[in-house]
Amino acid sequence: MAQAAQKLVAKVPTLISAAVTYSKPRLATFWHYARVELVPPSPAEIPKAIEGATNVIKAFQSGRLGQITVRDAFRNGLVATEVMMWFYIGECIGKGGLVGYDV
Amino acid sequence: MAPPVAVSPLIKTARYSALIAGIFYGKKRYEHLKPIAAEEKRIAEEEKKIREEQERIAKQLAEGKDWISHATIFKHHLQIKLYVANLMYLIFAASEDTILK
Repeated sequence: MAQAAQKLVAKVPTLISAAVTYSKPRLATFWHYARVELVPPSPAEIPKAIEGATNVIKAFQSGRLGQITVRDAFRNGLVATEVMMWFYIGECIGKGGLVGYDV
Repeated sequence: MAPPVAVSPLIKTARYSALIAGIFYGKKRYEHLKPIAAEEKRIAEEEKKIREEQERIAKQLAEGKDWISHATIFKHHLQIKLYVANLMYLIFAASEDTILK
């Protein structure tokens, strides 16, 4: 039992180095994309965002939304779903747990 | 590797505002639910105590019944002994009477 524990403890550094060599390029690709795609909006971009929102509302009011293709509508639906998922992630952070409220 | 996509500012603001809104919502909901759950736990504890009390009383009654049956046996035993003693005294008295007379 003690020998098995000793062997495990001796293997831990090799395991850690293997994990690091495995994850380094993948982390690099993730960072390469996240630096552009996942950054929060800079304060200069917020007026553009408000402008984009008003555009969507105007399109909805003028009926232009009835003319977009199903492909585009599907893509927009996926984007909206992704935004909703960020809300649920925020809720998980706020309630301090992954499944259910810990009362 | 494809070049990273330039995400529209609308989507970026929507994402992060949804994240912050979610954090607030989660916190508020948790604070709302916590006292309700504590109350329910308290009520459940009290009901459990009452139930245990009743079970204890029921168990005592069941045992008490045993005690009563033992007492009746003892009483009957005593009555029998007294009866026999009385009988013997009567016999003795009667015999004394006849013998002494």
